[in-house]
Amino acid sequence: MIELKNVSKSFGDTTILRDISLKIPAKQTTAIIGPSGTGKSVTLKHIVGLLRPDEGQVMCFGTDMATASEAELYAVRRRFGMLFQDGALFDSFTVGENVSFPLVHHAPSMSEGERRARVEEKLALVGLPGIYDRPTSGLSGGQRKRVGLARAIVMEPEVILFDEPNSGLDPITSDAIDALIQEMKEALGITFIIISHDIVGTVNVADHIAMLYGGNLVAFEPTDRFVRLDNDIVRKFLRRNLVLPQGPDEVARLPGLE
Amino acid sequence: MMSLFAGLGRYGLWCKEFFRAVWVHGPPKGQTLHEAFRIGIQSLPILLIISAFVGTNLALQGYNAFKPLGGQRLVGMFVSLAGVRELAPIIAAAMIAAKAGTEMASQIGVMKIREQVDALEVMAVNPLAYLVAPRLIGILLMLPALTLIAIFVMLTAAYGVSVVQLGLAGHEFIQFASESIEPIDFLYGAVKAVFFGLIICTVSCYFGFHCGKGPEGVGAATNKAVVTSSVICILLNYFISELLYGGSL
Repeated sequence: MIELKNVSKSFGDTTILRDISLKIPAKQTTAIIGPSGTGKSVTLKHIVGLLRPDEGQVMCFGTDMATASEAELYAVRRRFGMLFQDGALFDSFTVGENVSFPLVHHAPSMSEGERRARVEEKLALVGLPGIYDRPTSGLSGGQRKRVGLARAIVMEPEVILFDEPNSGLDPITSDAIDALIQEMKEALGITFIIISHDIVGTVNVADHIAMLYGGNLVAFEPTDRFVRLDNDIVRKFLRRNLVLPQGPDEVARLPGLE
Repeated sequence: MMSLFAGLGRYGLWCKEFFRAVWVHGPPKGQTLHEAFRIGIQSLPILLIISAFVGTNLALQGYNAFKPLGGQRLVGMFVSLAGVRELAPIIAAAMIAAKAGTEMASQIGVMKIREQVDALEVMAVNPLAYLVAPRLIGILLMLPALTLIAIFVMLTAAYGVSVVQLGLAGHEFIQFASESIEPIDFLYGAVKAVFFGLIICTVSCYFGFHCGKGPEGVGAATNKAVVTSSVICILLNYFISELLYGGSL
């Protein structure tokens, strides 16, 4: 369903992804982890076609996102929902207007009552019932993520992408978001792709973990195998004492990349 | 110089992509009137004030210029020629660039850095058609109307100063003013406004879409939007005036 084949991407002289190949298992939760600046968000943006690779293919539902036309990209994206880091809610809209936005644009045959019912249902699913008419300006960080998640699932997509769902949240709210993702995973039974540098939350939620480091794919394993891997980088990251290498030479000398 | 041409090239490609997006997706329903209302109503009070006081000063300076020659009755002609043909269109454009243009650049810039533009893309909604098209239609509807309002206010204020303060005969002001311009001059003012509106909207939105990171990026984009669109409008004003009123280029 989603597969990256030998994807490389550079911005100027800086190489972000080096020959990444990754097949995302369908109807399971895959986490892509790694320290900040190692290409996790860039990988996610390749999957939804916001970025195109310099080399390689990004296959989504049989479409190569690297070469797809705008119409093909939009057709694939309608099968995705995405939760952005800060929710990416439209500030001038109410909660209801934000969540119903994809319906307004892609389900014009729905009546306003049907739209509202669908939005209320999704808001209840993310634990925020009865806030349809609230302005987004008064929402807390955790609430913004929940509303963003309601918007991501309102079209009932086949794949949901989470970009750092825990970033900027306090530990308690962060745990609540992890619990919500777990609930959604059980309730929806669809493909989740989570970008994160939060180790504990990832291990609890993910079925598979891919680790990026210095633009390389260090490991991609089922979660139970991943946590026992005999790999320096993985072990250091799991112990939370991984320090980013300085420059490409140092990356090339990393023991886990040999 | 090379960076200027590179920037113009990027702007040109962006405009091409924008018009393609509008052609394919069309403007979103229900947004255009809202944008037109916002651009028109929000800019109107400041435009009225500035137009009025430009009119008063045109009358004063015209009087000072012609009085030594005994031609103070020509104030009406001076005001109408300068005001209708040049100052009202460019002042209305400058106001819209300063108010609506900066708002466009900063709003879109903030949306860009908060990933709201990416969110539109991921929701399969073309950001150019959704964000820029209603603003462009709104400005193209409102700027010609605002220009005509600026002309009326400028002439009225100049008439008031000429008659009340400078003691000129009202009927002479009106006679010289009306004899020096033609009805088509009002149409030309509106035509200028259409070109200025196109420049202000596309330049401001271009800088919004290409804004750098953080509040500094938004500030820089807003600054570039107002400076660039104002300069282009002033240069364009010369060429349009030359084409409409002057000799051959």
